[in-house]
Amino acid sequence: MSRLLEVRGVSKTFPGLKALDGVSAQVGSGEIVALLGQNGCGKSTLVKILAGVYQADPGSEVVLAKDEAGNETSLHFIHQDLGLVGSLSTIENLDLGRPLGRRGLLPAPVRAERRRAEELIAGFGGDFDVTVPVEQLAAAERTIVAIARALDGWDHPRNVLVLDEPTAALHSAEVDRLFAAIREVARRGAGVIFISHRLDEVIELADRVIVLRDGVLIADIERGAYDHDDLVRLIAGEVGSIAVAHEHAPASGRPVLSAKGIAGRTIETLDVDLHRGEVVGVCGVLGSGREEVARVLFGAAPGSVAELRLDGEPIASRLGPREAIARGIAYVPADRHREGAVLTMSVRENLTLPRLASLRGRLGSLSGAKERAEVADWVARVGLRPAEPERPIGLFSGGNQQKVVLAKWLRNDPKVLLMDEPTQGVDVGAKAAIFELIATAAAAGAGVLICSSDAKELSLVCDRVLVMCDGVLAGTASRPSLSEASLVAASLGTRPDQAPAKGGVPHGS
Amino acid sequence: MEASHPPLHRRILAALSFRNISAIYIFVVIFITFSLWVPDTFLKLDTWKAMIDSQAVTAVLAVGLVIALSARAFDLAIGAELGLGAVLVSWLLVNKGLAIPVAIGLTLLVGALVGLVNGLLIVRVKIDSFIATLGMSSVLLAMIAWVSDSQQILGLPDGFQKLGTTEILGLTLPVYLMLAVALVVWYVLERTPAGRRVYATGGNIDAARLAGVRVSLVTVGALVSCGMIAAFAGCLVSANLGAGDPTIGPAYLLPAFSSAFLGSTQFRGGRFNVWGTVVAVYVLATGVKGLQLAGAPVWIPDLFNGAALLLAVGLAKYEATASRAGAVARLLRLDRGRGGGMPGATAAGSAR
Repeated sequence: MSRLLEVRGVSKTFPGLKALDGVSAQVGSGEIVALLGQNGCGKSTLVKILAGVYQADPGSEVVLAKDEAGNETSLHFIHQDLGLVGSLSTIENLDLGRPLGRRGLLPAPVRAERRRAEELIAGFGGDFDVTVPVEQLAAAERTIVAIARALDGWDHPRNVLVLDEPTAALHSAEVDRLFAAIREVARRGAGVIFISHRLDEVIELADRVIVLRDGVLIADIERGAYDHDDLVRLIAGEVGSIAVAHEHAPASGRPVLSAKGIAGRTIETLDVDLHRGEVVGVCGVLGSGREEVARVLFGAAPGSVAELRLDGEPIASRLGPREAIARGIAYVPADRHREGAVLTMSVRENLTLPRLASLRGRLGSLSGAKERAEVADWVARVGLRPAEPERPIGLFSGGNQQKVVLAKWLRNDPKVLLMDEPTQGVDVGAKAAIFELIATAAAAGAGVLICSSDAKELSLVCDRVLVMCDGVLAGTASRPSLSEASLVAASLGTRPDQAPAKGGVPHGS
Repeated sequence: MEASHPPLHRRILAALSFRNISAIYIFVVIFITFSLWVPDTFLKLDTWKAMIDSQAVTAVLAVGLVIALSARAFDLAIGAELGLGAVLVSWLLVNKGLAIPVAIGLTLLVGALVGLVNGLLIVRVKIDSFIATLGMSSVLLAMIAWVSDSQQILGLPDGFQKLGTTEILGLTLPVYLMLAVALVVWYVLERTPAGRRVYATGGNIDAARLAGVRVSLVTVGALVSCGMIAAFAGCLVSANLGAGDPTIGPAYLLPAFSSAFLGSTQFRGGRFNVWGTVVAVYVLATGVKGLQLAGAPVWIPDLFNGAALLLAVGLAKYEATASRAGAVARLLRLDRGRGGGMPGATAAGSAR
């Protein structure tokens, strides 16, 4: 087995954050390597360095091995969204990446292309119509198209395929087809790096696992030298004494929000009770339904709630954002750029947008003085930097944008504060400030629901955490038994539909 | 940079920068050029009076368009809406013999209805505003031909014509009406919660919806106001000409768009705004006038307005990327300040 790719002492520093710290690893020919770790552990940073999106710190080395003929290893990346054009057929998608040269304006050789596409797909175990738009294919089939395209036209055998969470969107039946395709890739002599949160799949597929935690390489172990529990422990770290960030009164009395039978695209069913002053987390891997809970409750995503009570009062109809806000619910979305803020508008305008009525002056106009004074107050309270409320919010750092988004909702004195990934893309300093704001809101009597993939944060901030897996509640942890490790273990739990017998099938080599 | 209020002289300098008021500088250049080229005709007071009068209608229309564009709805039917207003008010006055206020009121109502249909096509049927209003403009042109029989409608009552020709302090009434419309639209867009919501909807419709803004209502409302103002501009055209001309509408489309986009690069840093648009209307008209006086051929206005639209949009895009580049530069400086450095060439340079 020859070595294809090696990284030596790779570090990456962002302002205020060391994302990777001296990571060394290698990938050999025909080898399937799983890259594991929690959100924010540095996995994606490493992949982006390999892809050339980020430059590593000085002293880091990425070595692409050469063979005797002087062929350098090529890297191929398949991201979660696959990068296919949905309205084009498999044939056309396969053709997209190919250099055109002289044939650019010649009629496409339809039959030859079709035969070629079918052969390529069949090579990875695909058996479907290559002429229909890829958006009509099953998710696993689309992944196969992406793999076939990445590996199409190898002129030499030295290749490494990097797959970023290829199974996140797949049903368990489809996973098997995808794994067959990945094994075929390895059998042809390529190296495979794949990132996944589903440990049972990792155990089934990987020849070797590499575990990162907080930017540091924790483990690099061969197949057979670990089991499920070992991986959980490696990923989550040892259970240390966790400093409680803040204290709350124990949940009691009537819940401020009580939702029974929340359902959505990825949520089968979930019940949530939220009390005054309580901080509740929802955790789970990507695709577990975690990312939809807050959206459905706020009425920002399609879905339904069988029975919803606010302050004990039953709500008959399904809420939309406007009604939700009127009833004292606030929602901080995960995607600030698309949903959280109007980037072209100033901090001041963003901050006051949900509630302008209180700023009304004469003739139905906005009172500029009142607005500026109120905004200046909030800018100071959240510690916005630089403290320039007239600057377009798009020019601020992620952490400061999030402070504004949070401030715009706290200004409404919400009864219920729903948040998706509140610290995504936020630097360490701003993170602390945001948690402080959340604690203040809870202390003021709001019920806070935080949906996040970051188990560590949830274990620090929350009083109680609901763990989701495959669209249903997989477990609940509350203080004092709440710990990062327990959350990770629960969210990575073996899915009941995966028969253990399958896990033992050795990878054909 | 850290202070929330930069010193006064810095603020004045920023206000006078080319980026903020480029149209004023362009105007100065145009003015000097034609003053030297055709001083006899260009520098005459009558030339300027005539131009200010004749452009008032364009300015009214462009101000209406600003509302739609601020909500990010392209109203390509705005020329035809003006044409319909012009013909309809004449038809109501001449063929139906209605009283002047009634005829104008009905015309404005029809303009609002057209805007309502535009808006519903966009928010309910979910047709892109570009296509919805393009289709609507063709429908309106057909309606204009039907109402007017493709003939000029003559014999408008004197009282109505006075609306377009009465002079106050040397300028005709439409100029003052234009200023009144501009004042109202400016007030609503920039000084009221409603206006804030229009800009938020145009800036990021998803974020606005999640902040509780009724984005469909805002879009429909913007198009209704836009249609109503276009119909009003049509009334002014007919009053000024003394006839309902069925061919007049489409010629106003491009100047309105050029002005609104050029206006968006003025004063408010890339945001569509009323006063920038009014200034832009007159800057563009001055250029066209000068070229005409210098003996340029009749197709010059088309060329000038088209080129101005492309230039204005290009300028707006450039400005957007320039401010983005500025933000990136700041971030890089910040990065360097924290002790980063040039990354090693071996790191990622060889990957891929």
